[in-house]
Amino acid sequence: MPTTAPTSGHGDTAIDLTNVSKRYPGGVHALQGIDMRVRRGEIFGLLGPNGAGKSTLVKILLTVIRPTRAEGSVLGFPIGHKPTLARVGYLPEHHRFPEYLTGAQVIDFYGALARTPRPQRRRLGAALLDLVGMTAWADKRVKGYSKGMRQRIGIAQALVNDPDLVVLDEPTDGVDPVGRRDIRQVVSRLRDEGRTVFLNSHLLSELEMVCDRVAILVQGRVASHGTIDELTKDRQYYELTLAGEPTAVHDSLVRALPPQASPARPGHDGFLTPDISYAFQPSGLRIYTTDARAVQGLIDTLRAKGDIIRLLRPVRPSLEDLFMEAVTDPLTGATLAPGAGPLKPKGKPHARNGGAA
Amino acid sequence: MITDTFALLVDAYREMNSKRLFWITLALSTLVVAAFACFGVNERGLTIIGMTIPIPVINSRIMPPEVFYKIGFIKFGIEFWLTWAATILALVSTAPIFPDFLAGGAIELVLSKPIGRARLFLTKYVSGLIFVTLQVAVFTFASFLVIGIRGHVWEPKVFLAIPIVLCFFSYLFSICALFGLLTRSTIASLLLTLLCWFLIFLISAADRITLTFREATAMQVERGPKRLKRMEAAAATEIAARTSEEPRDYTPEELDAANPFLARARQELAETEIMHHRLVIANDALVWVRTFLPKTDETIWVLKRALITDEEKKRFRVEMANAPQPPSRRKKDDDRPSEMEVGSRVEDILDARSLTWVLGTSLGFEAVVLGFAVWRFRRRDF
Repeated sequence: MPTTAPTSGHGDTAIDLTNVSKRYPGGVHALQGIDMRVRRGEIFGLLGPNGAGKSTLVKILLTVIRPTRAEGSVLGFPIGHKPTLARVGYLPEHHRFPEYLTGAQVIDFYGALARTPRPQRRRLGAALLDLVGMTAWADKRVKGYSKGMRQRIGIAQALVNDPDLVVLDEPTDGVDPVGRRDIRQVVSRLRDEGRTVFLNSHLLSELEMVCDRVAILVQGRVASHGTIDELTKDRQYYELTLAGEPTAVHDSLVRALPPQASPARPGHDGFLTPDISYAFQPSGLRIYTTDARAVQGLIDTLRAKGDIIRLLRPVRPSLEDLFMEAVTDPLTGATLAPGAGPLKPKGKPHARNGGAA
Repeated sequence: MITDTFALLVDAYREMNSKRLFWITLALSTLVVAAFACFGVNERGLTIIGMTIPIPVINSRIMPPEVFYKIGFIKFGIEFWLTWAATILALVSTAPIFPDFLAGGAIELVLSKPIGRARLFLTKYVSGLIFVTLQVAVFTFASFLVIGIRGHVWEPKVFLAIPIVLCFFSYLFSICALFGLLTRSTIASLLLTLLCWFLIFLISAADRITLTFREATAMQVERGPKRLKRMEAAAATEIAARTSEEPRDYTPEELDAANPFLARARQELAETEIMHHRLVIANDALVWVRTFLPKTDETIWVLKRALITDEEKKRFRVEMANAPQPPSRRKKDDDRPSEMEVGSRVEDILDARSLTWVLGTSLGFEAVVLGFAVWRFRRRDF
């Protein structure tokens, strides 16, 4: 039974999870000890393949599912503390509103369930309908709405209680590009207002555009966790492309590179220095560093030998690259099977933590 | 707490308002009351829209208009319409409430609100009962007007029909809610509820049948010795007349020899006593079983007990006993109890069953069903 006293020492933390596990009847271990922290006032993205446990985690936060084990807090109160949910807005994936209600009634109904006073519901309801561009449809029944319109009303109902924490599960699902842009703007505005937004989405590019920090969930575990910069820090590189046939380019690069003695990492062909590795590409080279000075010597050598440099640019991996890396078995290169994996000890080999969360 | 509970109740009204079946049922209820108003009673018999149909046992001498309309309201309006036809329509209308409430995408939205699961479930349950409350309230009010205008008696006890029918429906709706929670299917919950109702009805019917036979045999056992004495006296007189001797105490064999029906009557009485004993055991067992089940029939009879006074009941019985009986109902043997005598005795026994047993144990059943449903709902993941 959760206590009603706020947990101490979490003033800047909206969600603080420690060792959250969920084992369903039948033995499926959906979550295998999740540790995660979401700061107040940030947009946090949770991503992962189907069956990774994202929805289970969200539902545990919102008391829809009972965890097998969970420590931590939401907005300073223990997980499962019902009164705290009055300060949380939620849009579930594949939500289903009563079809006999109008859009305005949906907002009012869920606001009332969140114990929002009637004057506030009236005031905020009208403003939110305007915010999501549904004022003209406010008095039409949900039954006649398109999927995108239902999504817009869903976002409005998630905000009617003026929440400190907003949990949006696939908010852009079924929404056209214009609608997606509008939703991104709404989400950014929520952050600007000091609210915490917890986004759960498959659309990695959407997340990348708005999220301050992300966590990648794979087979019931956090595979990566941090800001996108933190997660990509060790994966940024310079891409060097030369003019010419691939064989000739390869020969030119071999001649220009300093002789290497140390063995290369998997996927890396050698080291420019003990800290900077490189990998051959069909028309050039990837040099894994963010330090521009490290590539100057190589450029000088190539130019002195008359090779033509067509391109040199710093590259930061996209969220999709990080995601694909997280869901790929590093040993076999195969994509990990969807669904929760078998119970393993914590600290699996492919997990990378991008920094303090 | 008031805000969210009120919101759930308003939502239930909106849901009901959107259902075509709600309005169809209401329209049918109005038609039933209109049909009820078309019937009447005069000194010659039953009247339908002013036309008299002579019926010996239904006329204003046996049944004054006020009793006719009250009995009509109970037998036709409550026992037929509200507890059968309208209840089936109400179950069809309310069966989707829990499966829809628990459907994926809908339940998450509600469970993520600051409302305890037990209160959520029970509020939803109560909101389902609003359907029947409104239906019964409209029907009862219309019937109250009909009884007042046509029967010239303004009987406020008619409004007891609202809590009583609501109580009756709530037994079934608790079962429906439980099955709705367990199966999350409207069809399955509806069919399982109807099946349970049918089983409850069968057990109730078995109770009534065994009770009727128990009382019939009891009356035979009570009257049997007197009948035997009469037969023995007649046999003794016959022997005395035949032998021209002074009457004396004859042995059973002598009496049996004089009247061959006497031995058969003795045997019948012995067999009836054994049968009665078995019926007492069977009926006691059924009553014991029914203690743990909802008493749907008796719950409705509570209304009859409240509306028909003992005086009206006695007068009705006297008039019925004096009324000319159709040949099939006439007594063939003065010692055997008539259908009416047994019926009156059974009616008295049923009326004597305490309200605690009728309503208390039925509501206890409902509380157990709801308690289990709430416990399951609180523990379930969605």
